Amino acid sequence: MKLELLHQPDSAIAKVHMDPQEELQAEAGAMVAMSSDINVSTTLRKGKGGGVLGGLKRMVAGESLFISVFRSGNSAAELYIAPKLMGDILPYTLSGTELVIQSTSYLASTPGVQVDLGFTGFKSFLSGESVFWLTANGSGLVILNAFGSIYEIDVDGDYVVDTGHIVAFERTLDYDITKVNKSWAGAFFSGEGFVCQFRGRGKVFCQTHNPGAFGRKIGGKLPPR
Amino acid sequence: MSGEIAYAIDHSPAYASLKLSLRPEQTVTVEAGAMAAMDSCIDMKSKMKGGLGKGLGRMFGGESLFTSEFTAKGGAGDIYVSPGVPGDIKHYALDGSRNLMVQSSGFVAAGQGVTIDSKFQGFKGFFSGESLFLLKVTGQGDFWFSSFGAIVEIPIDGSYVVDTGYIVAFEDTLDYRVEVLNGLSFKNLKTSIFGGEGLVTHFSGTGKLWIQTRNVYSLVNFIHPFRPVKND
Repeated sequence: MKLELLHQPDSAIAKVHMDPQEELQAEAGAMVAMSSDINVSTTLRKGKGGGVLGGLKRMVAGESLFISVFRSGNSAAELYIAPKLMGDILPYTLSGTELVIQSTSYLASTPGVQVDLGFTGFKSFLSGESVFWLTANGSGLVILNAFGSIYEIDVDGDYVVDTGHIVAFERTLDYDITKVNKSWAGAFFSGEGFVCQFRGRGKVFCQTHNPGAFGRKIGGKLPPR
Repeated sequence: MSGEIAYAIDHSPAYASLKLSLRPEQTVTVEAGAMAAMDSCIDMKSKMKGGLGKGLGRMFGGESLFTSEFTAKGGAGDIYVSPGVPGDIKHYALDGSRNLMVQSSGFVAAGQGVTIDSKFQGFKGFFSGESLFLLKVTGQGDFWFSSFGAIVEIPIDGSYVVDTGYIVAFEDTLDYRVEVLNGLSFKNLKTSIFGGEGLVTHFSGTGKLWIQTRNVYSLVNFIHPFRPVKND
């Protein structure tokens, strides 16, 4: 399998060159175009939250838990996958390590990677953002996407990142969700609601724009639904 | 007489803008409302190209009823054309040997030897919100089309499957049919409000296809939950 990234950063699309009998799983709806002999099946992924009901709950919260599996046939094939919003794509190689991914940043992964839904580390989340987290472990490639461009922060010590700007981070880091401001009112009015306080050594991948902030800005100007 | 139009496409792929340099008395047809700036020697005429029937056809195709004709009068002049949605622009030269099918909102500009006709593609794609209305572009001359996001060219020799919402244009040497790919939907569960039910277009034959890297409906679906909720 070979990955080719085109039109980075704002209109990024991934062209995946698949060898015969290879497999790639991707977020449902990510497929743009493909060779016609690729076999596709779409399933509902069960999170730790448990089965269909948990899944539906999350879906109502604006999340899709549907995963499509693409499998090439007896000849080489190509597959184009793209994120939904404008922004970049980042390939990340796992080698026995663990990556925590903001769910809307997950685009695709190779079969050696296990993706678990419903990472519970951030259960204390009170923010209105319908964000949940995935954990990826094993060996292989994870393809991430972002709203806007992606930058990398090499944490060695302490670092603070707004939760809406996190694409993914290495699990070697310790983390805490806190308010940036001491008082609740201050946290609310500053707009910097919840931040993730990282500790230790590891990489954090951030996106230049916050999808929730964008959605609220546009959505709030539209007539009620 | 008017031959090829000199042009430049700047700021691709995210914010592409088309600059056309018209020779004296040269005319170009542009999507209504897409003119952004021009020399004052250029004369504009609103046109219902191809008569009332075809104009209406274009309206149903999601394309504005009127196109505009711009002619450089008494000297050469430049005109800047910007599509309504930020994205890419591509040029295609029609030589009469093959025609171009263009997604209905993809028309940007065309030379005088080019005829644009809307073609109804049946109800199959209609109710999904991803109406596959196509413009059929024939004749000889220049044609420019646009996208949401970047444009990727795929040379097809054999067969290919494309999510219907990502089609920008294709050569009519390709056969196509719209179908539901069961593997892409899950027990008919609607995963989004507009589109996304696994409707794909199956292409076969030999010819070029252009896809866009983003789909407007995905953005609409993303924004939708952020709308205020009616409280009554």
